[in-house]
Amino acid sequence: MTSAAAPRAWLAARWQRWWMARTAPSDHLRLTQRNVYILPTGSGWMLALTLAILLVASINFQLNLGYLLTFLLAGCAAASTWTSHATLRGLQLRLLPPEPQFLGSHVVLPVQLFNDRRTSRHAIALALRGSRLWSWADVPAQGSASLHLAFEPARRGLQDVPPLAVQTRYPMGIFRVWAWWRPQARVLVYPRPEPAPPPLPPGEPRAGTGASARSAGSSEYDGVRAYRRGDPQRLIVWKKAAQALAGGGDALVSRDGQAAQRSELWLSLQATGLREPEAGLSRLTAWVLRADRMGLTYGLRLGAATLPQDSGAAHRERCLRALALH
Amino acid sequence: MPLIARLRNLPRDARDTLFLVLVIGCCVVPLAAQIPLWTSTATALLLLWRAILSWQGRPLPRRWITFSLLILATALTLVSFGTIVGPDAGVTLIVMLLALKTLELRARRDAMVVFFLGFFTLLSNFFFSQSLGVALMMLLALLGLLTALINAHQPVGRPPLLDSLATAARMALLGAPVMLALFLFFPRFAPLWGVPGDDLTGRSGLSGQMSVGSIARLALDDSVALRVRFDTPDGRPPPPSELYFRGPVLTVFDGRQWYALSQPEARAVTWASPAPAQLQVQGEPVRYEMTLEASRRPWLLTLDVPSDPPALPPGTRAHMTPELQWVLFRPIMSVLRYEAASYPRFRHGPPQRTPQLRPYVQLPPGSNPRTAALARQMRADPQLAGGGTQAMVDDALRRLRTGGYRYTLEPGVYGDDTADAFWFDRKEGFCEHIASSFVVLMRALDIPARIVTGYQGGEMNAIDGYWTVRQSDAHAWAEVWMEGRGWVRVDPTAAVSPGRIGRIERLQAPRTALGGALASMLSPSMIQSLRALWEALDNRWTQWVLNYTQDRQLDLLKDLGLQAPTWQDLVRVLGLILAAAALLGAAWTLWERHRIDPWQRLMRDMRRRMARLRLPVPGHQTARAMAKQAHEALGPQAAPLVDWLMRLEQARYAPRPHDSLATLRRDLRRLPWPELEKSRRPAPRR
Repeated sequence: MTSAAAPRAWLAARWQRWWMARTAPSDHLRLTQRNVYILPTGSGWMLALTLAILLVASINFQLNLGYLLTFLLAGCAAASTWTSHATLRGLQLRLLPPEPQFLGSHVVLPVQLFNDRRTSRHAIALALRGSRLWSWADVPAQGSASLHLAFEPARRGLQDVPPLAVQTRYPMGIFRVWAWWRPQARVLVYPRPEPAPPPLPPGEPRAGTGASARSAGSSEYDGVRAYRRGDPQRLIVWKKAAQALAGGGDALVSRDGQAAQRSELWLSLQATGLREPEAGLSRLTAWVLRADRMGLTYGLRLGAATLPQDSGAAHRERCLRALALH
Repeated sequence: MPLIARLRNLPRDARDTLFLVLVIGCCVVPLAAQIPLWTSTATALLLLWRAILSWQGRPLPRRWITFSLLILATALTLVSFGTIVGPDAGVTLIVMLLALKTLELRARRDAMVVFFLGFFTLLSNFFFSQSLGVALMMLLALLGLLTALINAHQPVGRPPLLDSLATAARMALLGAPVMLALFLFFPRFAPLWGVPGDDLTGRSGLSGQMSVGSIARLALDDSVALRVRFDTPDGRPPPPSELYFRGPVLTVFDGRQWYALSQPEARAVTWASPAPAQLQVQGEPVRYEMTLEASRRPWLLTLDVPSDPPALPPGTRAHMTPELQWVLFRPIMSVLRYEAASYPRFRHGPPQRTPQLRPYVQLPPGSNPRTAALARQMRADPQLAGGGTQAMVDDALRRLRTGGYRYTLEPGVYGDDTADAFWFDRKEGFCEHIASSFVVLMRALDIPARIVTGYQGGEMNAIDGYWTVRQSDAHAWAEVWMEGRGWVRVDPTAAVSPGRIGRIERLQAPRTALGGALASMLSPSMIQSLRALWEALDNRWTQWVLNYTQDRQLDLLKDLGLQAPTWQDLVRVLGLILAAAALLGAAWTLWERHRIDPWQRLMRDMRRRMARLRLPVPGHQTARAMAKQAHEALGPQAAPLVDWLMRLEQARYAPRPHDSLATLRRDLRRLPWPELEKSRRPAPRR
């Protein structure tokens, strides 16, 4: 099995490379005679065998009606090459830019299918090339349909959308008509957030104040900070905690009197205390998400790059992007 | 109605399954009369079971249940037929497999298997009948199967079955030219192996033997046995008394059944010289063209009696038996057409009594004692003894006429001594009782006699002028050997029921419920003309489709201008047609590649016109931008142009029904261009 499979896999890989080299990537694909392929399926070969048996029976029993039946079926099969091919030919596909996603979850590829023909196209299936998880759609006449494919990226960073396959077996299932598509879009994959990260690192003294401020228990509270072990219950901002819980988080937030003014939160690989860089990035990602959820102001130091103290969605995206590309 | 509402709201797979079960039922129903009762019952039950399962949304039975049912079906087939190969057992098995497979529709592959088994079932219908009615029904069933197949390949949503049916019909229409080309030019061969034997039961028609009731059964069968076109003025048939179509001649009697002499036996017993030497014909022959339905028997039916071999299709040979029957070397498996010339006046058989006539006086010893006693009594009658054979025959016929004998389709069950029972007890019977009892009496009188089976009578189809002979016209008569005259036809049935012969009037077969309902709605003459119309259609079908043989193919090639075509030429023509079709396809492909969207073409035309006005427009420009450009360059003169461009834009993005592309194309031609061009031409810029 393996001895037979190895050359086949090698051939498949070679073919894939040749095809990739030959095809220009594009987010918009119009299927034409040039890029639509057609071959009989297993059922198609079975129909061929059936037709052969029907023909032999017609000859042997001298059944002229048998000939008619056999030839009509053969005619239908011949017509179905045409119909099958026409189901894909002329179809247009467009890949909308995929949203960035975290490593470990699925990237969703929204694909739109356009049909400018006056008849609808049935049973069009789309999948990542090589996978068998087909998503099906009918595209109405002079209309469009949309499909969502998902794939799980293997690593973080900016990467190519994997090649896609579009196929149909409509109408009789005896021919497989397919096309391959190499989208141009690239998808940004953030590092996987650590599932249960430790609390955020302590704030660093604001440059210029010089004083180390660790005055937990202060009765004044202007800001909030992450819950620290030993914080009295009355300091916890229950409203925020409930919001965080509703958002899927688990972080408790304590009121921080003057700490927010006195110290600033800096996230860096050193602060994670992990030696393995990927694990560190993973923890930083989780921290960025937590800090953002808590509405804190934070900065990110990553190698030579420094993202200054800021907050908000745009800042979060910048930080995650920096982490993804680091 | 709640049932219809339920049907409308069935889940998709339940609806699909019910439809498939319905279609399979349609494929199998015509076979019900041909397969064993257990098969049809089991098939009906299985299909019903499957329908109920999907109606109630219950799970399919476990695999071992279907598997044991399959084994049971195979075993029953083996018991019924003694084999599981061969057409009869094969048909039974295919039907059972099809019904069982519906209980196992799990994956798409299972569905495909059902479709392929369905195609086999369609074909197996043609083993039994290829009439126009069956053909139409099978066409419907095929469309149903294709609809289900197409529907199975639409996994999204709940597509309406009517849409799938439309697609199936379109596929069939697209496939029809292919079918026509292949049907016309695919060379017809002789069977590839073996000769399908006489093993398809359920086909009605004459058989090589006759037992009590065998022809009475045929009397209820209205199907066509043969059609004749007489080559006489107006296609008029010979007088009814000459309309005897000769089939097997039966000589050997075992007390209950009549058999034909085996051929070497017949040859050895009768004479050594070739048959025609014993046949002398007189007068003018009747010429006719005979179309014989597939009988699966080797014999040709001819009007009594042709002296020359019928003109058969090439590759078919026939010979005449000593008993004047024409026999082929293989059974007639498809419709056969031939021409023949028959002489109603002929003389046949040895003029003198020879030892070869001995088999024709043999009777099983001790059988029919009362008939034998009657014969002794007749021989003792001095009046009769002086008159010779003719007097004996006349006396027997007189007895039949005057003795209170009755012609009936339902004579009931006869005992062992059938002749005794007919002559003395029951005094009623169908033609085979009458002929058999008559021949037994003749033989008891030591007069050589035999039974001839065949068809007698028929009727003219007023629509196409074909003389139609049905299975219900099957008949048995007698031939008696007379000194100096040879074999002479005597039809004892005519003595009992003169109406049977001559006036061509059949006993009324019992009406079916449907036939009765139809008859009450339509007038008898209307039914008759409808039937004549249908049979004329069926005859066309038989003549043109079922009888399309290799010689008709070669005739077609001759009409196309080929001289002395062979079957290899058929292959060549077929190849040419396929090549032409492929070329057409390639040409279309090229054309399609260069084809431009009609809207884009209008844009392109407009760009060219504007370029002629010294207004070069880049290819990517939108209609609106072009309008703006024209307006800026030409001012108010450009108003119609601008208007047209805006309409073009609307046709693309918000089409209105009255502003189609065709209208726009027409309006583009009518746009006031010349003035515009003139206005630009006087001031050409260098």
